[in-house]
Amino acid sequence: MRSRTVQGTVAIAATASLALAACGSGAGGPQSGGSGKLTDDKIVIGLLNDQSGVYKDLSGPNSKTAIELAIADYKAKYGDKAVAKTIEIVTADHQNKADVANSKAQEMYDRQKADIILDVPNSAAALAVATQAANKKKLYINIGAGTTKLTGESCNKYTFHWAYNTAMLARGTAGTITKEGGTSWNIVYPDYAFGQDMNKSFTKEVTAAGGSVGQSIASPFPSDNFATFITKAGEGSPKVIGSMHAGGDLINFVKQFNQSSLKGKAQLAVGLMFITDIHSLGVDQFAGTQFTDAWYWNFDDQNKKWADRFKEKTNTRPSFAHAANYSAAMNYLEAVQEAGTDDADAVVGKLEGKKINDVFLRNGEVRKADHAVTHDVYLAKVKSSAPEEWDYEDIVKTIPAAEAYGEANPACKMG
Amino acid sequence: MSEQMTAKVDVDLAQPSILSRRNPLRYLMLLGGLAVLVLLPYWIYPPVAMDILCWGLFAISVDLLLGFTGLLSFGHAAFWGGSAYCTGLIATHWGVPFPVAVVGGAVFAMLIAWPIGYLSVRRTGIYFAMVTLAFAQMLYFIANQARDLTGGENGLQGIPRSFFGIELVEEDSFYFYYVGAAMILVGIFIAWRVVNSPFGRVLTAVRDNPARARALGYDVERFKIKAFVISAGLAGLAGGVFAISHQFASLQELMWTTSGKVVLVTVLGGIGTLWGGLVGAGVVVTLEDFLASSGFEGIGLITGSIFVLIVLLFRHGIWGTGRNVLRRYVLDRRKRARD
Amino acid sequence: MSAFLQYTLQGLAAGGFYALSALGLAVIFGVLGVVNFSHGACYMLGAVISAVLLAELHVGFWVALVVVPILMFGFGVLMERLLVRWLLALDPLYNFLLTFGLTLILVEAVKQKYGVSGLPYEVPAGLGGQVSIGSVNLSVYAIFACLFSVVVCVAVGLLLTKTRIGMIVRASTEAPERTRALGINVGRWVTPVFGFGIALAGLAGVLAAPTRAITAEMGSNFIIILFAVVVIGGLGSILGAVVAGFLVGLVEAYGIAYAPTYAQIVIFVLMALVVLVRPSGLFGREEVA
Repeated sequence: MRSRTVQGTVAIAATASLALAACGSGAGGPQSGGSGKLTDDKIVIGLLNDQSGVYKDLSGPNSKTAIELAIADYKAKYGDKAVAKTIEIVTADHQNKADVANSKAQEMYDRQKADIILDVPNSAAALAVATQAANKKKLYINIGAGTTKLTGESCNKYTFHWAYNTAMLARGTAGTITKEGGTSWNIVYPDYAFGQDMNKSFTKEVTAAGGSVGQSIASPFPSDNFATFITKAGEGSPKVIGSMHAGGDLINFVKQFNQSSLKGKAQLAVGLMFITDIHSLGVDQFAGTQFTDAWYWNFDDQNKKWADRFKEKTNTRPSFAHAANYSAAMNYLEAVQEAGTDDADAVVGKLEGKKINDVFLRNGEVRKADHAVTHDVYLAKVKSSAPEEWDYEDIVKTIPAAEAYGEANPACKMG
Repeated sequence: MSEQMTAKVDVDLAQPSILSRRNPLRYLMLLGGLAVLVLLPYWIYPPVAMDILCWGLFAISVDLLLGFTGLLSFGHAAFWGGSAYCTGLIATHWGVPFPVAVVGGAVFAMLIAWPIGYLSVRRTGIYFAMVTLAFAQMLYFIANQARDLTGGENGLQGIPRSFFGIELVEEDSFYFYYVGAAMILVGIFIAWRVVNSPFGRVLTAVRDNPARARALGYDVERFKIKAFVISAGLAGLAGGVFAISHQFASLQELMWTTSGKVVLVTVLGGIGTLWGGLVGAGVVVTLEDFLASSGFEGIGLITGSIFVLIVLLFRHGIWGTGRNVLRRYVLDRRKRARD
Repeated sequence: MSAFLQYTLQGLAAGGFYALSALGLAVIFGVLGVVNFSHGACYMLGAVISAVLLAELHVGFWVALVVVPILMFGFGVLMERLLVRWLLALDPLYNFLLTFGLTLILVEAVKQKYGVSGLPYEVPAGLGGQVSIGSVNLSVYAIFACLFSVVVCVAVGLLLTKTRIGMIVRASTEAPERTRALGINVGRWVTPVFGFGIALAGLAGVLAAPTRAITAEMGSNFIIILFAVVVIGGLGSILGAVVAGFLVGLVEAYGIAYAPTYAQIVIFVLMALVVLVRPSGLFGREEVA
């Protein structure tokens, strides 16, 4: 019940499994000398995300399906040699409340014996769980949140950031569009930490690529009425208008932008957009909008094949977050296989610096310095009409990992 | 139902307790309550048990206004959240033991409560609820803007839990619970003292008949402001312990939904019962905790339905309904004994 | 100067919308003494129903503008008959809490049925694009929404002041006992008036559909602003709701233009000032609440 009791049971279980370790060594873990060094003889994966609020469609309950696919693939790959014979998933809904995320994360680690927690969208919740991962010395791979703090001030040995972050989005979208001729920008951003970060990163990248930002306009958050901002953003006739809004605000902004006189005169670039946003507003409303996507299901055959498997189970197409959950779970299990144990320090050791190519990560690397997982990302343009449901994006350009992620975050002091 | 329809205000505080001061049952109940308090973290995951107590005191602070002064504050998140941030900042920057930081947070809550209370008590009833709600929303926007201080939507993370270097309390949430619970108990004791003091009786008089209270020479507005500030201090105490328990403060704490939730807890427990807040918190917090892991996606459907049912059918709340049943039973027995 | 004019017009456009939305809240409070917390949720329902009508039955904006308020009127009647009615004799706080609970249920139900990412809706044909008046640009739809709101507000005002029904309703608000004494059945008007208020919320929802994100949460912050509007205007005062609606729209637009960081706080500061100087609101009677 209490953490010491937990540690006690853990120790007993570990000794017991050591004594019982009779199976041959796994193919993936030659140096470990034996398999089955698992606490409680099983791996428990905790999925902690928003199953009822704004991020429900982006990751939500369907992420569980993605993780189940990873478990199935792991078992198929290693068969009898699998170190992890029993793998369980426990889920919880943090409802976008950081305090719920915090209690649930502790409960998962302590009581449900979770070896790792995945996903956790919403930056306040994501950072709270990072603190718990460091406290409990257990793994945590964040996918759903975009804050660079996870690989900056709040980085720690047990926390990894798998899919995307705000700095990457800025480099991808701002840098690429500016280089391709969109040299004069006006930016409208929501006035909270995320929007401020995005505005700063975008301005930096536009300038670095040889462009200029005429105005950066802060809009209150949340906001329904963007008429005034859109008017302001049109002053000076910029070639590109950057909207740094997300979720409902983004939809409001785009709807009202489309009704304004700027439609057709200036190109719209969006800081953070998910395929679920396009799905909800309709592809024609977003047509021509450019943004950076971490992954797109219809990019190539490999992605498509996985997306088909996903669709069989969920009847919908995967977002990048679903694919990232799959990739994170799979690579965690591979690392366990390699280490021959679920001991967090050993698994972290196997993950750090690992180069990965899988359905989600292309030219991926788990960067040792700040635990950001860098990989190729994509500049996408929204199609003007959808050939089939969810087929909304044209990939304009692949942005190489090094360009998208830059140097490791200097604010990170791994301790 | 029809019986309740006739009553204009459904708070039944005015009825005297059926148990006399010396009645052993009173002490038995108090003892039972303390036993539950001590055993709680054995039954329930300690951080969740701590949440129950924090929300319990928070609800008591709302009840102090609603049940005993007749003012429904729909903006109490301002004091809970304001204190959470202030506590967090004190603990982070000055590294003082957390009880000191929590007291600092509670004082801060009282400081902001004064001007808000001064303005809000100019209106009563439903107007008061809306005005407090709007002020709380204002504070929410300010906290969101002051991101250098509050961390914006990322929240104030990694608040230290320093406690005179005693590692058991600092690191193990099981032991932390007992220190936190002691602080909450102090808050509950203050609330109980206030209600059972001459000051508390004036408040009740103000609630029941402000005109008469004024005629008797009481400055009604000043009493209301005082009650408001005391209530904010208790909400701040609860919010401060909550922030230390979770080791962060987020904008969630200042949102109007938090104000709504605490009113739900209060009404569920029973308006004007004081202790009901703890019972209501026990039900709501454990229910939410259970639902979060259950895979059920419509948490709002459940809490919303509870709200509607309570307001329509059980306006005395859990504690109030229980007390009424007990009262009827005791009075019946006495009557029978007399006959 | 032209920029100032631009912001003024945009503020008025937004204000018309606030006025219409606050109107229903004021009407319901005036007659029933109920502060309907679920007004924001009803506004949301109006928008969601329009989107669903469009997607599933191909019913367009103009039809929705008529059909949705009728549906919402029915919803309001049900709500009054089944729930609100039982608490009318009690302290108004209970109905405030009841409608708060109802809000949670409605928001969650819409989330469950229609997801969280929002529903698509388009600007009706003929109302797209912009018009330029000198150096000032305004979207056609914003002008339409504002004019439409003003027409509805004026119509409601005339209904209440110039017709017999309106007279009865006003009399029941101001002096229910005396009205009863004159042989008028006050209770008869309670249900339709509540339904009417909800229908106005639904109408505001339809107007919002083409230009705002249609999500389950779209009413959650909106209702708080509406509370500020009615507090400023004076609870229960219909003229107050309309004037305060425009005032808040203007203040917000100037705030956005000249002090974006404080735009949202400005409304609440305005409210605080009104409460300080004129506690019953700009047009409120003394101690309605």
